[in-house]
Amino acid sequence: MDRPLAIWLLIFAVGAITFTARLSFIALFARRRMPPLLAEALKHVPVAMLTAIVVPAVVFVPAGVLRLDLGNPKLVAALVAGAVAWWTKSAVSTIVVGMGVLWLLRWLVG
Amino acid sequence: MRAHFSREGFLEGVRDIAPMMLGMVPFGMVCGLGAVAAGASPLAALAMSMIMFSGAAQIVATQMLVAGAPFGVILLSCLVVSLRLLMYSAAMAPYLRPLDHRWRNLLSFLLTDQAFARTIQRFRRSADLRFNASYFLGSGTLTWVSWQLSAVLGIVAGRIIPVSWDLEFVVPLCFLAVLAPVLRDRVSVLVCIVATAAVIALDAMPLRLSMVCGGLLGIAAGILGDKLKGGHG
Repeated sequence: MDRPLAIWLLIFAVGAITFTARLSFIALFARRRMPPLLAEALKHVPVAMLTAIVVPAVVFVPAGVLRLDLGNPKLVAALVAGAVAWWTKSAVSTIVVGMGVLWLLRWLVG
Repeated sequence: MRAHFSREGFLEGVRDIAPMMLGMVPFGMVCGLGAVAAGASPLAALAMSMIMFSGAAQIVATQMLVAGAPFGVILLSCLVVSLRLLMYSAAMAPYLRPLDHRWRNLLSFLLTDQAFARTIQRFRRSADLRFNASYFLGSGTLTWVSWQLSAVLGIVAGRIIPVSWDLEFVVPLCFLAVLAPVLRDRVSVLVCIVATAAVIALDAMPLRLSMVCGGLLGIAAGILGDKLKGGHG
């Protein structure tokens, strides 16, 4: 499948998924209560999935090569930015500090 | 449709959510930028933002496409990151049940982290359904419009800014900005540690399944952690 076609198919397929998830309890199974195990699981979805998205982008540089050492500028930048996010809860500060550290390290290493 | 519309409700919804829009702009930009970087035309990148209307799903879809994941795995991953919307849907359902289906469909489409956070408080405080539904419509509409404007900014930026600036690193930073502040109790930290270890250990899995599996293992650890905590009082 070529890339542009795949992208358009994805747009509609994922669009259907997000809309169905939003509609779920409001319209589709409006009469039903959420099963307790599902409710428990959903509580942990944000932390688990955000971690699973962020970590590979930071420790596999380039893709497939694990770099857990401080010579990996993306890892250092993410650790500093994570600390800033934890303290300030500000998205803008997190992005500014994270990109700043990354650029600084890249510039120092040359 | 008209029957439920309250102009004051709509405008108050718009006003109340406006301050949250600024924090959304970088994320919306990153989504537009990421789509262009994944090979989407500017039109497709905007359509993605308009139709999927979910930062997490948009980012996961584009990143996995670039990583060469098969279609089915991309859909599965998007489904898992969209699970939190079920939570919002269930919380909103009792309040929206009396509305007719057109209102419910429209408000469901506009259900986002931001609109949920703002609107649920209003529904809990007051029983004026007509006003509340319009309030939701106002905050949801402003969120949707702001999201598209930020996507356009990102699409434009993606065509101007050189690749050597590593701008795609803004994507994990955006997620980090949401993730780090919620790591304030032991179970959340446990979920984060297990998901980190799992996603690293499973990286060699075929079809780029490591993300979904790492996430699911993290969720399982969370359920287990809650049980243990409950057991000890």
